[in-house]
Amino acid sequence: MTRHLFLSSLLALSATGALADEIRVLNWQGYGTDLGWAVEAFAEATGHSVVHEYFTSEQEMLTKLRTNPGAYDVVLINAAFTRQARDEGLIGAIDTSGMANFGTVADGFLESELVIDGAVFGVPWTWGLTSFAVNTAAFETVPDSIEVFWDPAHKGRVSIRDDALEVVQFGALATGQDINDIADLDAVEAKLAELMPQIRTFWSSENDWNQFMAAGELDVATYWSGSAARSADMGLPVEFVVPKEGAVAWLDGLSIPDSSTKKEAAVAFIDWMIDPEFYVGWDKEGAPASANAAAADALPDDSFNKRVLGDPDVVARVTFQAPVDDATREKYLALWQGLKARQ
Amino acid sequence: MNALRIAGLIWLGLVLVFLYAPILVMAAMSFNASPFYQLPFDFSTRWYEDLASNTAIRTAATRSVLIALAVTVIATALGTSAALALFRYDFPGKRILQVLLFPPIAIPWLITGTAMLIFFFAIGVGRGTPAVLIGHVALALPYVIVVVNARLVSFDRTLEEAARALGANPWTVTRRVTLPWIAPGVVAGALFAFAVSFDQFVVSYFLAKPGDSTLPVLIYTSIRKGFTPEINAVSTLIIVGSMALMLVVARFFSFGGHR
Amino acid sequence: MAGTLSAGDGRRAARLLAPAYLWLTLAVFLPLSAMLFFSFLTAAPFGDKPVEATLSNYRAFFETSTYALLLWKSIKLGLWVTGACILIGYPCALVLAKQIRGRAREALFLLVILPFWSNSLVRIFSWAIVLRGNGVLDRALDAVWPGDVRLALMFTPAAVVIGLVHSYLPYVILTSYLALQAIDDDIVEAARSLGARRLTILWRLVLPLSLPGLLAGAVLVFVPVVGSFMEPRILGGRFGTYYGTVIEDQFVAVFNWPLGAALSFILLAVVLLILGVSSPVLRRGMQ
Repeated sequence: MTRHLFLSSLLALSATGALADEIRVLNWQGYGTDLGWAVEAFAEATGHSVVHEYFTSEQEMLTKLRTNPGAYDVVLINAAFTRQARDEGLIGAIDTSGMANFGTVADGFLESELVIDGAVFGVPWTWGLTSFAVNTAAFETVPDSIEVFWDPAHKGRVSIRDDALEVVQFGALATGQDINDIADLDAVEAKLAELMPQIRTFWSSENDWNQFMAAGELDVATYWSGSAARSADMGLPVEFVVPKEGAVAWLDGLSIPDSSTKKEAAVAFIDWMIDPEFYVGWDKEGAPASANAAAADALPDDSFNKRVLGDPDVVARVTFQAPVDDATREKYLALWQGLKARQ
Repeated sequence: MNALRIAGLIWLGLVLVFLYAPILVMAAMSFNASPFYQLPFDFSTRWYEDLASNTAIRTAATRSVLIALAVTVIATALGTSAALALFRYDFPGKRILQVLLFPPIAIPWLITGTAMLIFFFAIGVGRGTPAVLIGHVALALPYVIVVVNARLVSFDRTLEEAARALGANPWTVTRRVTLPWIAPGVVAGALFAFAVSFDQFVVSYFLAKPGDSTLPVLIYTSIRKGFTPEINAVSTLIIVGSMALMLVVARFFSFGGHR
Repeated sequence: MAGTLSAGDGRRAARLLAPAYLWLTLAVFLPLSAMLFFSFLTAAPFGDKPVEATLSNYRAFFETSTYALLLWKSIKLGLWVTGACILIGYPCALVLAKQIRGRAREALFLLVILPFWSNSLVRIFSWAIVLRGNGVLDRALDAVWPGDVRLALMFTPAAVVIGLVHSYLPYVILTSYLALQAIDDDIVEAARSLGARRLTILWRLVLPLSLPGLLAGAVLVFVPVVGSFMEPRILGGRFGTYYGTVIEDQFVAVFNWPLGAALSFILLAVVLLILGVSSPVLRRGMQ
């Protein structure tokens, strides 16, 4: 039934003119846009086919946009990087008037970094938290404080992601500071230095995380909300925790490169990506939270995204990540490398 | 005397066990049901079933094999002739040419790959399979030259000179005297060239057109979400296939060097 | 030895060298020159950022002790891995070249290189499965050894060495084999008939004659290992930070190509310096 609605609205869209195009999407691999059934449904409804290219870091994504003008039609950009991409002229303002689903995007996300001077440079798509998850086999009660990382009882059973920004912001939370404006970086460094002997290894991808956790190497490790939902779905004994100290929230948007020649097809694709019907299907396979209020409401009550991230208490504890300039990034990296080098 | 020979064989056997331990684990895990490579072992053929319907992995694997074969042929031919010239002739600047082989080996491929991306973009080669080939061959060349040279240094020049004195032209000398002698080196160089290309991630990643990914690119980009033992399944098939092919080759051709 | 070149030889040398070196120039030397140029800039010349010439990227190496510390750690790692590869690989090559005969030799020659044809990332994760707590190795030891054995090799420097030795061992075996197989058995026989002991023959005759091959293999191991980052990252755990990983971070985590490039060229310079310093010593050893 809803599927029917979607198809007819897309048919109406495609009837307005555009021929069948091949659009090129630049995204993380396995991050929603490349789901087989979703791409097929889109092709069926609009005639547009979708080709993917992947990146493995935000910097690489920006490099690809810089060096390959015209090669991409839709790109996933984290809100912390949207302004930079716009300032470099890599992405253009999006005409949202043709998007049937744009009206239900949560208002809060339209006041984010994705909308600059009233123009939409990224359509709010998904959001999530960077916090931590525990191995439920190792805890009788799930901890509610970030201090569990420093607990001697879990020495050598702890992991954090090998990412300077994430690590420093984690240290800021642990020392009670604002993640977007760290006043006392020395305190963060000292706190992290205490953490180092506790650590078993650093993880760098969901793949590492799952394998280390499945092998029983870890009790507690930093993690992303969407990934935690996916790992739990796949049968790992993990539970995602948003501690009382708070957590870092991020927002991903879908943008259209200024150099794209298939903007109409790109708009149609983004509209499908924020469609509640698509989202409910994606959520079954483990998705981050949707930025579209209608899509979030459409989830079943027991889904992770509704249960955990829909909790107002949780939402009150999170802080959205602000853009980080290059100098600060390099300062954090130097701090982090210094700590790692002294192991 | 016999004890020494037996000790030698045991040593060789242990080294082979060491070399194949992770390969066997890789193959075993392709028959293990757990998507997280969990132990204990639980036999399943589901990853092979999944693989049968996964066209992305199969086309990427085929593309990787074809590219690696082309790279092997080109890099072995160019590398062997360069090694021959470096061995045969003394000329000013020879040391520099030899030292120049080290930067591509010493500088991490990540940096070389990034540099290629910018440069190919700037000179208009752009992206695509030709660019990938150019990059792979360049990275394989130093290995071929060094390995062939490792064989050449023990070559007795007087053999070439004698053949020439008997009236053979340089090409005949190369074909009838030099090449048979260095054949093991050329084969080893070719095998390394294949390995360099077949495992090359960075250059393919930066230089391949969207949608034209190779197997390593597929593996590295899927690591974010977690790759499944399908990767083990396809790797196992490739190893078993190449092992069969190689044993057939070893049965009919001799390239280990004879005296 | 050939002294100067005749015109004909010069032409022939150029014809043999040109294809390989032109290819390398186009695909490696020119791009790396561009990187070298970037390493003297304040930022990678993309976007609208103002770019100036500077030496600060090279100064950065000396401003903190982090980089020097890690480079030294990486060099030590390179020496350990190279040493292990030589000790394990050379005897193996000796057996292969002097003891195995006929078709079996061809087959073994190929078997040694075949593990190389698997994806390195898959190989490293397989090592992780072997080495980790309660992994394949622990289980195997439990089965054959009475009592509780816990090697706890995973996430230690030892795990990094094991992974790297595995990846680079075939180079040493094959280059040593190529040189060893070239030694005329008659010479060895002659020495033996003159009453030389086995060890003396090995030390005074076989080793010097095969040294060029062994050294070529050692160089092919040492040079890339110093800059390696993938094996350390995955197998080394919190001890897995090496010089190669900090270079990778400059490219991947922050968009600081100039610093990453400068660190790479410092690495190249140090590696070439080590090879340059050791080559006269080694050459004397070969005579």
